[in-house]
Formats: sequence, structure tokens, C-alpha cells
Amino acid sequence: MSMRIAAAPLLLLALGVPATPKTPKDDAPIDLTGNWVSVVTEDWRWRMLIPKKGDYTSVPLSAEGRKVADMWDPSQLATDGCRAYGAAALMRVPGRLHISWENDTTLRIDTDAGQQTRRLHFDKSQGTPTVQTWQGKSEAEWDRITQPGGLGVSLAQGPGKPGALKVMTTNLKAGYLRKNGVPYSDRTVMTEYFDRLAAYGTDWLTVFTIVDDPQYLNQPFITSTHFKREPDGSKWMPTPCEQDAGGERRAAP
Amino acid sequence: MSLTPGQSLGVLILVTASSAFAQIDLGGEWAATFHEDLQHRGGVRLGDYTGLPLNESGWRKAQSWDESARSTFERQCIPHVVTYAMRGPANIRFSKIVDPVSGELQAYSLLGSYGRPRTIWMDGREHPSPLAPHTWAGFSTGHWERNMLVVETTHIKTGWLLRNGAPTSDLATMTEYYTRYGNYLMLASFVNDPIYLDEPFIRTSNFVLSMTTSADAWGNCGPAQIIDELGGRPKGWVPHYLPGQTPHIQEFLSKSGVPAEGARGGAATTYPEYIAKIERNELDNRIFPPPAPGKSFPRFVSPQTSEAEGEITVLPVQGNVYMLAGAGANMAVQVGDDGVLLVDSGDGKVTDKVIAAIRKLSTKPIRFIVDTSVNPDHMGGNERLAAVGHAPGGGRASDSAGPGAMVFAQEAVLATVSAPSGQKALLPVGAWPTESYPDWKELSLNNEAIQIFHAPAAHTDGDSLVFFRRSDVIATGDIFSTLTFPVIDKGGSINGVIDGLNRIIEITIPKDWQEGGTMVIPGHGRICDEADVVEYRDMVTIIRDRIQDSIKKGMTLDQVKAARPTLEYDSRYGSDSGPWTTSMFIEAVFRNLSKK
Repeated sequence: MSMRIAAAPLLLLALGVPATPKTPKDDAPIDLTGNWVSVVTEDWRWRMLIPKKGDYTSVPLSAEGRKVADMWDPSQLATDGCRAYGAAALMRVPGRLHISWENDTTLRIDTDAGQQTRRLHFDKSQGTPTVQTWQGKSEAEWDRITQPGGLGVSLAQGPGKPGALKVMTTNLKAGYLRKNGVPYSDRTVMTEYFDRLAAYGTDWLTVFTIVDDPQYLNQPFITSTHFKREPDGSKWMPTPCEQDAGGERRAAP
Repeated sequence: MSLTPGQSLGVLILVTASSAFAQIDLGGEWAATFHEDLQHRGGVRLGDYTGLPLNESGWRKAQSWDESARSTFERQCIPHVVTYAMRGPANIRFSKIVDPVSGELQAYSLLGSYGRPRTIWMDGREHPSPLAPHTWAGFSTGHWERNMLVVETTHIKTGWLLRNGAPTSDLATMTEYYTRYGNYLMLASFVNDPIYLDEPFIRTSNFVLSMTTSADAWGNCGPAQIIDELGGRPKGWVPHYLPGQTPHIQEFLSKSGVPAEGARGGAATTYPEYIAKIERNELDNRIFPPPAPGKSFPRFVSPQTSEAEGEITVLPVQGNVYMLAGAGANMAVQVGDDGVLLVDSGDGKVTDKVIAAIRKLSTKPIRFIVDTSVNPDHMGGNERLAAVGHAPGGGRASDSAGPGAMVFAQEAVLATVSAPSGQKALLPVGAWPTESYPDWKELSLNNEAIQIFHAPAAHTDGDSLVFFRRSDVIATGDIFSTLTFPVIDKGGSINGVIDGLNRIIEITIPKDWQEGGTMVIPGHGRICDEADVVEYRDMVTIIRDRIQDSIKKGMTLDQVKAARPTLEYDSRYGSDSGPWTTSMFIEAVFRNLSKK
């Protein structure tokens, strides 16, 4: 069934029927929109609690990265603001996501924890912003695994099997991978795959994340994070991540 | 509409290429990455159940677990159970198993990570009967959804989520999604366990395609490799901690700073709102909170925990032996050129169906029937089945009633069902054992030696174990069941049950990796092997030890019941109604152990 759908444009092509280009929204092989909540079954101690200083268990920090992490002091917590809510860490922060199409070419992710907004742009013609931000610049595409060429009858340029949402994020402001000051630099490039699956009557969203930081990591930092679908946004608990001098919290820009 | 040659070629390409789109290639060596949950994967701390959606039964079972258990004779060779195996600190290998003629994918082989090799069947076959044996790897079937290989696994042995005692039951099932992202592989696994989890437990594990590493098969571990690691402990010793006496919980809390409630796990602790609860200090941080009075842990009802009464199911066990279920207690059926031997005869309500089922296995006469106990669901079919049988040599040795199968039982069984002349007997004479023995009996049929052992004062005072030596199968009667706590009745005792279970464990010899080898037909429930008996023996011993400890402390029966010594096993083996309730079991154990 799904094979036929995937092959339909080819059939039209073969029959000489011009196909109407679809928008990324219309072309979505999976529906990621809706309300999702993170279910913290992994790294619980490092996500639900604030880890102790110097605890960077399982993060492949370089010597420079460890040095920076060791300089962090718990007293900084009050002033760290949104450093732990940048794109390289945001999906690991326990919280809820609201995912929606902002327009035909932009998928938007809002988080209640830290009140951050990520925009995943399918339109890659946009230029690079001059200012680095917590959420950086994210370019998205529907990932399709294609056949390599070589055989006489292969479909080397075929549409491939519909897959996940692939997102490449750059232009990030330096931040924390964890709230205890485990750093990533502003040279970080992040690749993510957003996917959907279902088990035992529940819909899930998974995010496979590769954080590549030539400055503070000695190898790509690979995690996968899961979210469970919620029927509505009634449990949305917006919590901004920045505090001003008086202790009042405000949203990050 | 007619197609041009080019259009035809396009359609041809489309058709021939469709199979290439049918799947993503997962084959190859994959190296595990450990950038998350590291401390739950290599050397997990005892007492750390953080992030696990354990229910109360789950965390209480975890708290009673003693690391020494892994060093017992019966557990040294246990590999990673499939509910944990993919989290092990090792690499994996995906291989295709392809039909050599058709070229079609039949299955994937998945090897590595300290688990047993897995076969993921892709040929559309059904999962086995609920009465079929369980294994460490379980039984897996797969199919493709989009770009993901989806694997469903059932028939998993009682196991664990983490190697610190966080448990899974033998009712757990698992769904896995294997998804390839370039040269990365992500596995999302869901374990659903109605006994020990609040809700399905999801974990994601990541792998990188490797050109230089190789998954290891981990060689062999079997009886030849087992040594005495515990020095001086008696056979049958079951390491465990009594409730509230587990030392490592406090140790973990002190070192980690994790609050006690969070360390116990539970679904509620895995959602973001739990952070606010921690911040507001609204936790129950007692390390060993007592069970809430009156809280119910109802029995989970499924095809694996219930008997389909009247519907006969016949499963091959091993060698010449089959298990026949659905006629009351399980029956063992041994067949061969000499005839048929039955262990137990069912409850007698569907004997016609039993005879029909036996006839599908063999047209030879029923020669022998062995009753493992006096219970009506074990010997209710004696009269009719013996009547249609024919003992070797033309007749029964001690009965002049004419041709018929010989019926064997321990002498207490005969004493119970018969009566002196002039008095009314429990059963008609045609249902009585024709031969009885005090301690043991040997038979030979179908070129197989059969040993019968009396297990004194166990389930009753007349229990027998029947061991088929060549087929390597033992029928246990009601000393062992996968459905209920042991029924202690008619002269039985808790220590007799434990002795009987240990005798079974002595007789059974597993193959490699504490699996297979001698197979076990329980009085009720599914086909098992030694590892399943060990799990049951451990449970019964732990409950006995708890009640014994309570008696030593001077607790009354009501106080013992309130302490819930069976709590983490109630939803699997317990019952609030019917002929054998949890309350009756506790009371029987209490009275046994209170006898001076």
C-alpha cells in the first residue's frame, strides 16, 4: 500500500503526466504536529535533577570541554538563564512540545520548559542570520533513503522510501548540554531525525540527535529522546528560562 | 490508452524496483554508543531504579533482590534476557536469512550484546501457543512500517530491565522499532509488563555502522562451566533481602543524592511535572514504606494465566513426550511402539476429547497411567482411560477386572481414594490406582526408562514426579504450576513443596545458557525448563522465609497477612476468589511453620 503511494509520482512521470509540486507540509510522510510530553526513562538523574558539578557522565567532552565544565559553579544556576535551553539540549529538557505548521514550509516547535521556539525551515533559500541564537538556524527536509545508481534499471534518482524529518541546525549561540555547565560551543552543528512510531496503543515521537562540536566534544554526541502524544495542551506549563536581576523570570528572546 | 516504449520501460522499472523499496538494509555490524543512560548499562548501581515505570510490585521485588543470586549454581549461566539484551555494553550484528531458492527474506538474525542470538521471523508466521516454552531471547516476528523494522517479541522468560534486580515477568512482551538514519541505527524498544510496570517502558538505544568491529557470540556457558561460587551455601539457598532490610538502597541514595521516592521509579516520576514535586518536596522519601492497608494487587488474567477448560491443546515437549492441556490438570503423554503412557488423567469431564487427542498421537493402547496426586483434576479420568487401555501382558497385575491400563500412584493416594471393605470409598474402584509404591517406582516403555519419585508432604502427602529419562522430560504434578501459588492440601507442607521443587531442579539439567535441556511439564500452565522452576522455587522460598521471620517476631496470622508477604507475586499467582486464594496460601504456610 505505502509502496504504491511512494511510487505514484514515478508512475505519473512514466505516463508523461506532469506532477504538481507539493509543499513540504503536503508532502509530509508523517504527521509530527500535536502535543507531546517527554517521558524521562533514560538519564533520569541528569535530566530530572540538576547534576553535580563535574558530572558529565557519558558526554564525550574534549579536554577543553572538561575544563570548561569544571569551571561551572552551582551558584551560577540563578544566572545561567537559557544556556541549558539551546537547541543542542532543548529536546532533552523534560517538558512538553507543541508542534505545528507555521506555514507551508516551516514547522514550529514550542516548548513549555524554557518557553523556547524552534523553527524548522524547509525553504533553504533563506540566508544565514547575522546573530547566533539559542535555537540557531534549522533547515529541514523529509529524509528519503534513495537507491544508489549503477544498475541499468535502477531508480537512482527515485524518491526513495519515505522516512523521518531530517533537520540540520547551525548558527547556535554557545550553551549547555546539561544544566551543570557541560558546554557546547558556537561552532556546534546539530543533525536531528524526528520520527513517529506507535506501541501498545500510544503514539510516540522520537528525536535522534547528533551534536557535533569540534571545540568541546571529541566525538559526535548521540542521543535519542522520546515523547508521548497527549490529547491536548491542558498540561502545558510554560516556564521561562531567564531571570532578571530581581529574580523574576522572563522569556528568552 | 496505449503506452510508448519509453512509458512501458518506466512502468517496468517501477514494477521491478518495487521489491528494492520493500526494506532498508539493516545488515552488518553495529557498534553501540553510550552517550545516554551510561550508568544503567555498565555496572548499574544497586537500588537505582530511576526512570523505570515500576509499579509497587516491581520496586518491592527489586528491593528484595540480592546480587548473590547471580552466583548460585542455577543462575551463573543466565545470559541477558531480551528485555535488557540490547542495552548490554556490546556490539550487535544484523544478518539476513534468505531462502536459497526463492531469494526471499525469511528472517533476520540478531546477535550480540551478551544476549542469546535472536531470530526475527519475517515470513508471516504466527507466535506459538501461550503454553509453549519461554526463552531468554523470546519469540520474535518482524514487519516493515515505512522505513522501520517493527519487531514483536513474546514468550520471554522472567527477567529484568536492569541488572540490579528491576524485574520483568514472564508475561512481558516487547515491541521494537529499528530505524536506520544514514550510518546510524536507532532502536526504540517498548517493554509491556502487566505484572511489574505501571505502563509500557520505552528506551532508545543507538548504534553506529561499524567496519572494524564484530559482534561476539560469547561462547558457551553450561553445566560444565558452573562452579561453586558461593562456598558452603546449601543447595537450594535463595539469596534475597527481607522487606526493609536491603542495605544498598541507603547507600545509593547517599551517594547519588536521588530522593528515595525517585529512586524507586514509577511512571509518575518520568513526567516533567515530577520536577515540581521534587522542588516542592512533596515526596514520600521513606526508604521502605509499608504496603498500604487494603490495597489490591489483582491477578492479571490472560491466556497465559488461565486454563481453557474443555478445549484440548496438545503440544510436543521433547522426544516421545507431549503435553495435553485443557482437561483439568496438565497431562503428559508418552507414545511409541509399545503403547501410550499417561501422567495424570485429567478431571474426567472431557475424556472423550482426551481420548480423541491421544488417538491423533498414537493408535497404540494406553498401557500405564501415573497419578501425580490425589486431586480430582489429576485422576478424574482414571476410570475411563484405564478401561480403554490394555496393560502389557494382557491384564493388570493386581486386578482381576480384565484388560485395562495399569494405574500407578503413591500409596497415600490409594489410601485416600479407597476404603476398607464395607465402607464407602472416595472414588469407585475402577478409578483407583492398581499399583502403589511408597517412595519410588521404575517403568520402561517405548524403549525409555521412566522414574517415579515420591515427593513427601509437598502439595499433598502423595505427590509424585515422573521423569522420562530418554526424552528428558519431567512431569511435576501440582508441586509446580505456572498459574498459582502452591496449593498445600491433604498432608502437604510448604517445606515439602520447596523440597519437591529443589528435587526437580536436581533432576533437570539445562543446555547452554541455562535454557532448554530437561523440559518440565507443570501441573498447570505452560511448558517450562529448569530456569522457570528456579524462578518459582525462589518465589516460594522467599515467601516462606518472610513468613518464618514474621513468626519468629511473634506476629499473628492477621499481622502476617497485613504485612503482605506475597505482594510482588500477587498479580501473577494470587487470587482473591476461587478454590485457592492468596489468603488461604498464607494461612497454610503460617500454620505449617507455626507447628512445633
